[in-house]
Amino acid sequence: MKARNADLWSGLALAALAAYIITQASGWDYSGPDGPGAGFFPLWYGIAMLVLAAALVASSLLREPERVNWRGAGRALAVSAALAVSVLLFKLAGFVVGFAALAFFVVWVMYRRPWPLAAAVAIGLAGGFYLVFPLLLGVNLP
Amino acid sequence: MDILSGLMHGFAVALEPANLFWCFVGVLLGTVVGVMPGLGPPATIAMLLPLTFLMDPAGAMIMLAGIYYGAKYGGSTTSILLNVPGESASVVTCLDGYAMARKGRAGAALGIAAIASFVAGTVGVVGLMLVAPPLARLALAFSSPEYFSLMALGLAMVVLLAGRSMLKALLAMLVGLWISGIGTDPFSTTSRFTFGQLELLSGIDFVVVAIGVFALGEVLACMETRAEGKALPVPRGLRNLLPTVQDLKDCRFAFVQGSVLGFLIGVLPGAGSTIASFISYGVEKAVSRRPQEFGKGAVEGVAAPEGANNSETGGALVPLLTLGIPGSGTTAILLAALVLWGFKPGPLFISENPGLFWGLVASMYIGNVMLLVLNLPLVPLFAQVLRTPGYVLYPLILGISIVGVYSVSGSLFDVSLVVGFGLLGYLMRKLDYPAAPLILGLVLGGGMERALRQSLMMSQGDLAILVTRPICAALLAVAVLILLIPLFNKLNAWRLQALE
Amino acid sequence: MKSRIVTAAVAALAALGGLHTPAWAQGFKPTRPVEAVVHTGPGGGSDVLARAVALMLEKEKLLPVRMQVVNKPGGGGAVAAAYLAEKKGDQNTIGFFTGVWLTGPLTSSEAKVTLRDLTPIARLVLEPAVIAVKSDAPYKSLPDFIAAAKKSPGQLKQSGGSVTSRDNIVRQLLQKHTGARWAYISYPGGGERIAALLGGHVDMMVIEPAEAGEHIRAGSMRVLAQVTDKRLPGFPNAPTLKEAGFDVPSVPQVRGVVAPPAIPKENVAYWDDVFQKLAKTASWQKFLADNQFEDGYQNAADLAKFYDEFTGRMRGILQEAGVKVVR
Repeated sequence: MKARNADLWSGLALAALAAYIITQASGWDYSGPDGPGAGFFPLWYGIAMLVLAAALVASSLLREPERVNWRGAGRALAVSAALAVSVLLFKLAGFVVGFAALAFFVVWVMYRRPWPLAAAVAIGLAGGFYLVFPLLLGVNLP
Repeated sequence: MDILSGLMHGFAVALEPANLFWCFVGVLLGTVVGVMPGLGPPATIAMLLPLTFLMDPAGAMIMLAGIYYGAKYGGSTTSILLNVPGESASVVTCLDGYAMARKGRAGAALGIAAIASFVAGTVGVVGLMLVAPPLARLALAFSSPEYFSLMALGLAMVVLLAGRSMLKALLAMLVGLWISGIGTDPFSTTSRFTFGQLELLSGIDFVVVAIGVFALGEVLACMETRAEGKALPVPRGLRNLLPTVQDLKDCRFAFVQGSVLGFLIGVLPGAGSTIASFISYGVEKAVSRRPQEFGKGAVEGVAAPEGANNSETGGALVPLLTLGIPGSGTTAILLAALVLWGFKPGPLFISENPGLFWGLVASMYIGNVMLLVLNLPLVPLFAQVLRTPGYVLYPLILGISIVGVYSVSGSLFDVSLVVGFGLLGYLMRKLDYPAAPLILGLVLGGGMERALRQSLMMSQGDLAILVTRPICAALLAVAVLILLIPLFNKLNAWRLQALE
Repeated sequence: MKSRIVTAAVAALAALGGLHTPAWAQGFKPTRPVEAVVHTGPGGGSDVLARAVALMLEKEKLLPVRMQVVNKPGGGGAVAAAYLAEKKGDQNTIGFFTGVWLTGPLTSSEAKVTLRDLTPIARLVLEPAVIAVKSDAPYKSLPDFIAAAKKSPGQLKQSGGSVTSRDNIVRQLLQKHTGARWAYISYPGGGERIAALLGGHVDMMVIEPAEAGEHIRAGSMRVLAQVTDKRLPGFPNAPTLKEAGFDVPSVPQVRGVVAPPAIPKENVAYWDDVFQKLAKTASWQKFLADNQFEDGYQNAADLAKFYDEFTGRMRGILQEAGVKVVR
């Protein structure tokens, strides 16, 4: 992707979303026997979204594009991927294990701290959550 | 029974040692529940319901109400410190509260939140005591068209929440409306935008989106750099951890308008505290002499919504106790509790159970004082959380967010959703889309669609119903005025430029 | 006094800490706290019923373990039903169903689980309803209201729940029987329905007797008729639909208990027995009387037959009402 114009791309994405909303909404009743139907409201905000997204695209083409600084985005994406993996781990191994792994990853890989420290933080946090939530508050963990 | 003797009687009930104890248990539990993101008063009250059968109803009611208003105090804590909304009504508090914390003023923000909560909580009780029955009858004048206009008024606040680009703010708001529409249509039972997912039939919980977009989005953005060495600045010395006299002066108006607006909106059974806090924030910004400071750590921006969501509690008890009509999830479970204890909530409830009503009112005065005493000393303590280095703080926020979301629904599906919304929140930050309008659209979307469709059912499809009813038309007019604010500001700037 | 406080506080802490009553694990008895799944949030009709049942089971010592209410709202019962179906074979889970669990799947193609897929346990209550207007309304009887609706078709309004709810079904039946027509305004929250009537924004509503009772006593509502086969003890002076001259079937709201699919026979027998005993207790009878519910107890075998009959009747009514029926 050309890092040319973030507004253009996000505008196009929103226009696509709007198009999706409008197609879906037009499949539902616009008005039923007792009043407006399920498609009534989504159709109108879908149209509004399409118009505004088009305006955003147009203005982005007319104006000098502002550069978005994508440096560091890789790191953020890595963390969100780690989050997704940890959710899988919750399912397989439970919250305490999954969360400890996540915390370990953040401290060790993202912050480049020595691994004993990372392990300490991970175990400390995961243990702390286990102590506070299920034991003290009676809230179930995943 | 007139008010004075009623209140005397009420204090006699509330000051019984057992009731004082339950009041304390209630507000303490409420604070804890409020601090925990996700876990809210309805779930807590439902969990404790079986125990209340061992108790005297007055004590039980006092305790459950304590949980209800106590949670509003606690809700601000994580919003300010971690950008994790502790409770749906404290989303707005994130905007300026977290900005203040980043500037090293977390203590001041927490202190102002506690003071605003105290002032507004007390105003709410005074309102409940003095004007409950007549106000409840007035609130009945509100029906779907009026609710639609109220929501439109709330939605108009988007122009005040916009960042640099109005277009992007509006688009974010529309995405919020769309997210609010996911799930089963309550009227026709058509399922909308569910992608065939059963989990989406009940819609996406507001807490999931708010925590994802605010808290996780923020964490992801902070992960971009490894500059964790220095934690957020936390000034030393108690004096610097509490609000200054100047802060209190700045908040004078916010205290008053937040309290009054919150109470009035609370009385309406179809509105709710999140709307109250958004509207109060908007009003504060609209009349402020320094609107440019909002979102960057304006202390009024914390006081107004925190006040509004606290006095809303007093307001919400009005239709419950005077008419037996619940306006929110929490009041619905309180109503169920009353029924299960063998009371008959309805128009005659107060006159037939004066001891319970006045005892509750008196206990709320006491409870508010307890909460202030309980919360203020905790402020410096909580502010220390920010001293923890980033590599501990951020995993901590991740954990709190995940547990918070899970505690709402107990579903891992919601946990994966929150990860997705975290990514969305991060991208919005990068691309300069403001998050608050998205949340605003999400909060108001469902109610607005319902109210509009109900209005059109009433009028047989005639949109004129929205302008022929006086309250409704007046609210719409205010909404239009708010929409004109940016235009007016532009004209003014242009005029000043021309003058120079 | 003090010791009672301490005991209660200890109980509160115990509950918070998630400590449970120890289970007697013998025979076909639940071995851990029973999960009772409901499709409403806290405070909703099913939620309140489930919590009341939990209390009574505990008080009458019919269940050796605690019963915890689990809220799975959404999709008109579809989410809760699907959750139960996932718990296939689980002996420590039950669910509280209502009529929408039967009517919901008729109109929603996403609802993959119908009540037929779950194991029937017991039908517990039939909730009657009354037709009420604001006390200063000009209509003194149901024929008055119908006549007014005929005079200005579509101008009078009724407030109620979703289109598949009992409120709308009663309206459809009456409209079809009389040829009158009035508007229906759907309010998802029960409170708003009543507020709309009291505020004069709608003209009539179908309301549960216990809810209406207080407003009638306070003089803010009047009952025109009751949607029942015989007069309720709480409303000796209001005619039933038939007595008022409208020969339409009275549609009750049903509530009862189901279990996950494919549970062992002994397990079904155990639950059957528990609820049969519950239905005979004094506290259950008092609960019914307090709420003006009808005793709708049916055992597991009869409940299965009831499903089919009820579903068939609802399908017909919904189709006539112009609601799209998918199965």
